[in-house]
Amino acid sequence: MSRAIQVRVSESVVRTVHVEDGVHSPIEMLPVRARDRMAELLAAELEKLGFLRDGDKASRKDKDGIEITVDLANATVTVKLGADAKLAEEVELTARVGIENQQSTEANLRDDAQRELEARVAERTEALRREVTKRLEDKLGDLRKELDGAVGQATVAALTERAGQLGRIQEVAADEAGNVTIRVKV
Amino acid sequence: MTEAFEDDLPQVAASEADLIATARALIAPQAFDVWAVLCRSRKLPPHFGETCAALLEDSLRQVWPALLRRGGTAPDRSGKRLWERHPLVALPHSAATARFLRWLTTTPFAAPPSAIETLPAMPLTLGDQVLVYLALDVAAGTPAQHTLAVQPFVRDAPLAWLGFAHLFDLAPAESMFDNLVHGPGAVVVEALAPEIARRWQAAELTKRALTSPTSLVNLGRAQDGTLRAFMAACDRRRRRDLALFVLDAAAPLLARDIAPMPPRLDPAAPLSVRTAARTGAGSLLRGVIRWSEWDQEHRGVRFIDDDYALAQQLLAKFERIGSAGVERTAQWLSELSALA
Repeated sequence: MSRAIQVRVSESVVRTVHVEDGVHSPIEMLPVRARDRMAELLAAELEKLGFLRDGDKASRKDKDGIEITVDLANATVTVKLGADAKLAEEVELTARVGIENQQSTEANLRDDAQRELEARVAERTEALRREVTKRLEDKLGDLRKELDGAVGQATVAALTERAGQLGRIQEVAADEAGNVTIRVKV
Repeated sequence: MTEAFEDDLPQVAASEADLIATARALIAPQAFDVWAVLCRSRKLPPHFGETCAALLEDSLRQVWPALLRRGGTAPDRSGKRLWERHPLVALPHSAATARFLRWLTTTPFAAPPSAIETLPAMPLTLGDQVLVYLALDVAAGTPAQHTLAVQPFVRDAPLAWLGFAHLFDLAPAESMFDNLVHGPGAVVVEALAPEIARRWQAAELTKRALTSPTSLVNLGRAQDGTLRAFMAACDRRRRRDLALFVLDAAAPLLARDIAPMPPRLDPAAPLSVRTAARTGAGSLLRGVIRWSEWDQEHRGVRFIDDDYALAQQLLAKFERIGSAGVERTAQWLSELSALA
């Protein structure tokens, strides 16, 4: 008759993970002026909103870590948020077996512990990713309004330029609904 | 008298009879319980007998009549039907047809997918492709359709992509459709056009019920790739009329304001995947936008130009969509790709 023993295995892991989520979307602008000029006008409006221009790109990193990059040449916007975390997990597993099975049981428990650790890290990584997605989603509504405003202002600027080519601009008036009237003397 | 008549009937082995029944079920499914035919599994000898080969050839001669019954034979403006406009040459079948029919006959489609032998890819003639198309069609609504769609053999059939892009999850090769836009391939596509349009339209409706972003991304990738490659092939061969099924599929949806908007994608999925899914949902709409670009070109074709008559015909076809339809399509695409 074999002697019963208790096998205890302890495994731990410390892992640094990076999660990221983001969206990429076109920016719709009316082609009032040539594409390059429209891009310039949009860049000017974006700079008023705190964007920094670097060639064909205008970008801004907000306090909450969200990065917004506008590709002026292709009229697209990319919004992304990343997060890093150091995840520490520890697992301890025990089993009672006959002493003759000690080695195989220990190996099995170690494998189980590794799988459990991987599952826990994956679960926490996914939870972190969901948190990042949630923060991004919460921000998108406001960001869309902000970008729509910039596009609107750039379009008004383009229309004003066009009007200036037709004659002398006498008045540019905007109402509360956002409608803009440009009076031109030809 | 009866005995003499029965003596004249061709005799084949029971396994060969099953093979012939499989071929006939693809060509004339209304005469068979197709699921029962697909579920049975019969071990076949390595070679067919001569009688079996002759009966199989006879069955395959019925493929054209089967295709002509699928709705694409309406008279054109000159009053000519499909078979009056184009000669219906015999569809070439290769050894791949025999391989495919063997696989259909020996495979128990009710078995778990892991128990089903993979059908490797082979070079396919037009006749082989038509059989693949018919098989996917008769298997609709059964698990066999998915089993068929994952076979490398089936994925190498351009006609399968054109008719059943919604069953695939990746984009087809760019040059895949060249043989379907001229010669007998184009006649087959014309014959199947109304059916293909109905299927693409039905796929649009399923997008409104999908909640898995990954499924929608895959669907969009397959449909986008298929339409882009097929429309480019049509353009190269000056056969834009073959892509009219895009308009036939989209026009009723635009008229009824039925957008392919997935109402609620799994909120647990990453935003990047959900965005890609929404963008992918617009594949047919992008086909309509491509058509609107063609329409602009057709407006510029002058009376003295060679393509004037064809351009006028296509202009008339595009009227169903019109500028209002294009505007609505652009608006839907904009909503699908919007930031939030």
